[in-house]
Amino acid sequence: MKKEEFILSGLLEQYALGAVTPEESVIVESFLSQYPDLKKELDLIEVALENYALQNAQIPDSSVKQKLMVNLFSDKNTEEQHSNNAKIGGSSSAVAPVVIENKIHSFYKMASAAMLVLLIGSIAFGYYFYNQNEDTRNKLDLVQQSLDEQQKRNIFLTDNLNIVTDKYTQNVVMKGTPQSPDAIAKIFWMKNTGQVYVDFMNLPAPPSGKQYQLWAIIDGKPVDAGMISSEKAAYSIQKMKSFGKADAFAITLENSGGSPTPTMSEMVVISEM
Amino acid sequence: MPNSNKYTEAELVTLLKESNEDAFSYLYDCYSAALYGVILKVLSDKILAEDVLQESFLKIWKNIQSYDPEKGRLFTWMIQITRNLTIDTVRSKAHKKQMKIQNVENLVSQSEASKHGREAFDAMGIRKQVNLLNKDHQQLIDLAFFNGFTQKEISERLSIPLGTIKSRMRSAIQELKNIVIRKV
Repeated sequence: MKKEEFILSGLLEQYALGAVTPEESVIVESFLSQYPDLKKELDLIEVALENYALQNAQIPDSSVKQKLMVNLFSDKNTEEQHSNNAKIGGSSSAVAPVVIENKIHSFYKMASAAMLVLLIGSIAFGYYFYNQNEDTRNKLDLVQQSLDEQQKRNIFLTDNLNIVTDKYTQNVVMKGTPQSPDAIAKIFWMKNTGQVYVDFMNLPAPPSGKQYQLWAIIDGKPVDAGMISSEKAAYSIQKMKSFGKADAFAITLENSGGSPTPTMSEMVVISEM
Repeated sequence: MPNSNKYTEAELVTLLKESNEDAFSYLYDCYSAALYGVILKVLSDKILAEDVLQESFLKIWKNIQSYDPEKGRLFTWMIQITRNLTIDTVRSKAHKKQMKIQNVENLVSQSEASKHGREAFDAMGIRKQVNLLNKDHQQLIDLAFFNGFTQKEISERLSIPLGTIKSRMRSAIQELKNIVIRKV
């Protein structure tokens, strides 16, 4: 390449911009060493670009210089630096350890600070949600419990209703006797199976130690039909002994556990014969 | 050259090659703002830019033996070291991921950033300079000088033929030279 060609190629400008390949920079440098006027031209271009770069100058934080001076000139480093400089010359690899160490250092500082914040945050959240969860679980348990009760009750009532409304069921009303005129009780007697249910909701609560006993009157004789539970649910009928046939039903107040024969003076209700 | 009263460039280089602490301190004082500006042309993150600045001065210090005044001026050599470290940082994988979008924005908003830089510098009273470069030329110089793109890359990036880029680049640099001459 001749000097004129070289000037026209624009390589000198590209060299100043730092935009040449290693091969191109060998070419440029050989021209520079041959022609002092090209070196002057390069200086002019470089000064122009330096001026341009200066327009964007901004003052960095003073900590940058402090770190650098400590890094390079704190007594231990200095000697190492001297020997390094002599050895490495153009190599850039020697820079890396110091800088990378610094970067990692500040990276870990930042990372651990971030982790700590996250940790505290997650503990707080965890605690909050744990409480929330416990609370919710307790509430859920209560709701579940109440639902179970309702369901049981529902089944129970449905059963009762089925008995009461069954087409085979015969209703037998037992009215109060003269000694307990307000009492009333009902028998639901399923004529197909003989099953007998009693509705004792309108009987006065039995005195302690006493219990109601149901009797079936068959061929003029009272036959034990079972003891009535003293526990009253909201609305319930109780299953008693089964009878294929009976002329009437009656309830007497007996000692707890029942009696083989009814105490006629303690009869509370009786159905029509 | 800012404040070149204390040493001539040749003296400064000689002292730096002798690992003179005062010379390094002087070098930093003279050029840190300019080099920081070069980094901020490409990196908007100031903390990261300071890291790169520190790295640049370390590299300048360690490589001063390889600086050859026959091959170019000291400041240009320093700018190129700084510019290359900045580009390496931008191109490093982690940074690329993080800053992908921001870089595009940087290219767009560079003229604005340089305005800020200039104001900051003028405010320090260090240098007063009117930017006489036209916008197209400024973009070309920025892409080549600060972002390190080759003429071919610039041609592709701007969808302008390579021949046009080459001739514009030369007239842009001529314009910059004229600004300096007029000032002198």
